[in-house]
Amino acid sequence: MNEAVSVTEHAGAAAPLSAKDYKSDYKPIWCPGCGDYSVLGSITKAFALVQVRPENIAVVSGIGCSSRIPAYTACYGFHGVHGRSLAAATGLKVARPDLTVLVAGGDGDGYSIGGNHFLHACRRNVDLTYIVMDNQIYGLTKGQLSPTSPRGLHTVTSEFGSLENPINPLLLLLAYGAGFVAQGTPVDMPGLAQIIEAAIRFPGFSFVNVQSPCVTYGHEEQQAKAQKGKLKTLASLGHDPSDRLAAMALAQSYGTELHTGIFYQDPNPPPTYTSLVADRQQALADGLPRERVLELFAKR
Amino acid sequence: MDTSPSNIRGLDFARLTLQDALDLAVLIEEEARERYEEFTHQMEQHRTADAARFFRFMQGNEEKHREALASRRKELFGDAPSRVTPAMLFDVEAPEYDEARAFMTVREALMSALRAEEKAAAFFAAALEHVADPDVRALFSELHEEEIEHQRLVRVHLDKAPPDPDVHPSEFADEPVEID
Repeated sequence: MNEAVSVTEHAGAAAPLSAKDYKSDYKPIWCPGCGDYSVLGSITKAFALVQVRPENIAVVSGIGCSSRIPAYTACYGFHGVHGRSLAAATGLKVARPDLTVLVAGGDGDGYSIGGNHFLHACRRNVDLTYIVMDNQIYGLTKGQLSPTSPRGLHTVTSEFGSLENPINPLLLLLAYGAGFVAQGTPVDMPGLAQIIEAAIRFPGFSFVNVQSPCVTYGHEEQQAKAQKGKLKTLASLGHDPSDRLAAMALAQSYGTELHTGIFYQDPNPPPTYTSLVADRQQALADGLPRERVLELFAKR
Repeated sequence: MDTSPSNIRGLDFARLTLQDALDLAVLIEEEARERYEEFTHQMEQHRTADAARFFRFMQGNEEKHREALASRRKELFGDAPSRVTPAMLFDVEAPEYDEARAFMTVREALMSALRAEEKAAAFFAAALEHVADPDVRALFSELHEEEIEHQRLVRVHLDKAPPDPDVHPSEFADEPVEID
């Protein structure tokens, strides 16, 4: 089954849905000025652009400020345990390939505690969209070093400056063969909504790193004002998103420059994990009757 | 070809009809009203009462503008389906999310509203460069003037607003409390 088609199959026959139709009645309790407000706004705008009905979307998250997102949407939601959002989402997508699955979380949840799932969801090419609100700090727990905190950062857990290099999530996933790798920022909301829309439409694992400022514990260089000063869209650099090596070259600037847009989008996406599972199920159903399968198990 | 300003998607301003322009104007006010409503809620939640009161006032203003434009649209075009959707616009008159801060002063809240009004005026000025239809030009010129008038009104409020305290209220936030 081609999941790109499954998105359009749900396209509303009734009146077009607006971003508001994807928001729940719960009001976000993030700090005023938090980048996550714009990310939520961009996600709901992207849903409206794709026009998948809320009941055909599942939003899955782990733990952290940004992981509150499922509650703020009118879609099905699963607020799981720390770092395991991609594992839960993989199971969900395999069981219900008809759903559009979006996973949201922070850099601590995704790159540290859930770092292993991040790689394996990518290599399996599960058809879901993973949005990481990368604020380079553990905000919910009041400002500890996160896996993307810059070297030298002073935090409550690095009083004299961090001794660690940050991971580079863009380069990591490009090296792992991800079919869709992008970066956005809340300071360019139209750009971010457009990226998320493209990610949702992509048939396969799609990853969007969002430089979402933490206004309470985040460092100066990560705040909206600093981002506005250094933002460069990949389109303005003439980047060809079908060129993986060029994407890897640009992704090396993570942490020093702010490039937004689609770094890489596979022009010939390979089959997704979900479609391979469906093919295997079909092949087994065609080739081996259920009784024979049970018999084979019994022999072991 | 898309000739729209950068915060509008999928609308060719060179071909904009009066109906489209009115629908867009209604949605711009609607978006601003919603954002002020969100800000009001954020301020109430973070015990920033004065800024909350001001944002609620702005929410009411945007709603009045929306209603006036919606009734004009209804009068001219009845219930004809709109070709403009909320997904096409981004923060035209709505203050940007990063304008809000816990414990912001009334003066800071007013400044965020002023920047939003300036942004809206700049939008209509930029849009006018692309618009061909004379009725749309007249409407956008009128709305551009209105946004300039709104800036003047916000400045009047700013003149009356108390000066910011020497020590910002956020400095007092989350101070540890000594317990006997």
